[in-house]
Amino acid sequence: MSERFSKTLRQISQRPILRATVILSIVTLLITNHLQITIWKLLDGWSNLKKLGSEAFPPDFTVLTERAGWTHPPCTFESDILCSPAVVGMTQTLEIAFLATVFGMLLSLPLAAMAASNLSPYWLSQSMRQVLAAMRVLPSLIWALIFVIIVGIGPLAGVLAMTMYTVGYLGKMQYEALEGVSKEPLEVARAMGLPRWQVARFFAIPEASNALISQMLFMFEYNVRHGSVIGLVGAGGIGWYMNHYLTPFQLYDKVLALIVVMFVVVVIIDQISLVVRRGFIDDTSNLPRPRWRDILLMRDPVGTESSESLD
Amino acid sequence: MGKAGMMTAKDSNPVRLHLADATIGFDAVSPLIEGVDLTIRAGEIVGLTGRSGIGKTTLLRTAAGLVRPLGGSVECCCTADTRADKGAIGLIPQRLGLVQHQTVGYNVLMGALAGASFLETAFSLPSKRMREETRAVIEEVGLTEKTLESVNRLSGGQQRRVAIARAMLQEPDLLLADECLGELDAETARGIIDLFRHMAEDHRMAILIVDHNPVRAKTFCDRVYQLRGRRLIPFDEDEASSSTLPIIAEGSV
Repeated sequence: MSERFSKTLRQISQRPILRATVILSIVTLLITNHLQITIWKLLDGWSNLKKLGSEAFPPDFTVLTERAGWTHPPCTFESDILCSPAVVGMTQTLEIAFLATVFGMLLSLPLAAMAASNLSPYWLSQSMRQVLAAMRVLPSLIWALIFVIIVGIGPLAGVLAMTMYTVGYLGKMQYEALEGVSKEPLEVARAMGLPRWQVARFFAIPEASNALISQMLFMFEYNVRHGSVIGLVGAGGIGWYMNHYLTPFQLYDKVLALIVVMFVVVVIIDQISLVVRRGFIDDTSNLPRPRWRDILLMRDPVGTESSESLD
Repeated sequence: MGKAGMMTAKDSNPVRLHLADATIGFDAVSPLIEGVDLTIRAGEIVGLTGRSGIGKTTLLRTAAGLVRPLGGSVECCCTADTRADKGAIGLIPQRLGLVQHQTVGYNVLMGALAGASFLETAFSLPSKRMREETRAVIEEVGLTEKTLESVNRLSGGQQRRVAIARAMLQEPDLLLADECLGELDAETARGIIDLFRHMAEDHRMAILIVDHNPVRAKTFCDRVYQLRGRRLIPFDEDEASSSTLPIIAEGSV
């Protein structure tokens, strides 16, 4: 018996996929047991799901048309639609995401340049990486909790929370993009004797600009998606309005309507962002691509007036 | 400038690069080149040839201060330090080191950075003089119509002109050019060579240029050296065409 058992064990240990499956199954069972999850608890949930479903359907789209007097900050438009919870909430979420992306980008770019090992001395790049990692440790929801305590309920806490997370997350993507640039332009700049910040500012960042812009757009998209969550702790945006219906009234039909609105907006933004980003990612196209400077500064280095005089 | 030994020639021809018994490479146990003695003066074009992988680029990067010499001394532009003054050394790497997706104007303007003030660079507001000089050198290399074009969309020869225009605007004392003439048709190469001659003669730059083709290098360089067996030696055409260096001989036909 024990001989057969040890033979089976040997057979399992010789087949890597089987071995992994066995180990994974044992670990999964142990954890499920530890968390006291049982199939009965899952089945108990079924009746609640039915109740939730019947209360949430059909979604109550009056959240799009009825004026809400309790928006924060107070809505001053004449139109009821513009002051409805869905429109106010979604607009706030978009605005928070926009500001957080802009501020996050402004802060993360210099930090990323300091964290890039090809642009900074070893001690600086390594310590900057730890700073960025520390900012990423807390998800934006926790940052939102902290800032709601510091600056009170409202969109400001949301902007600050999302900015913190954006810096940590975008900064990591940015220093990886900066480390990927060709080293020759940087050597030209170094041979010229330029200081490090100029090497980063005029050679590395423009060289990586396509990736940087694409990442920024991605970050905006990401912030819109996550911006809906932080409202749950009072940091503004559509989540705040959802929470208003959830506690204590449990108006699930209105919450579902808000979720539908959010879903539609997020899908639209994803699609726009995808199309715009494609223009920056595709390296094979022969079309002139929009450039970093053209977008952010709207001017060319030789001066627009000079281009006219050249003709 | 205080080095008496380096100022023996007329003052109009100051030494721009001086390597004395320099050992070059990355590993002290097996350096790429040993005992390099090389002096380049203002207005001189010096050619450097040798097989691929023998250390031409490393020699250039050592002269540029990007690689530390393993031994001996490397002095640039009359300073005892390997770190030269800001803007004193110009480098044109093998793949030119242009900032991709940026315009010709932007790339050429970068040559003026070394001479720009802090405010001009901090707010990236080039002065009128900088912009005018940029336009002037672009015109000099014949790319005026391409000023606002992205460098990615230029031909290989045009891209080299951009890199050269950048170096012209920088006006370094010492210009180091790596394989600047490779893969060009004869006529385009001629045009580029004329630009180098112009920089050496009219702007009194000292130029160290790596060229695969020693015979062509002979035609426009004041002196040509070759790297062979860890040594830098003057290039000798007769010796090369005899059997000792079949690869160079092939290239020279």
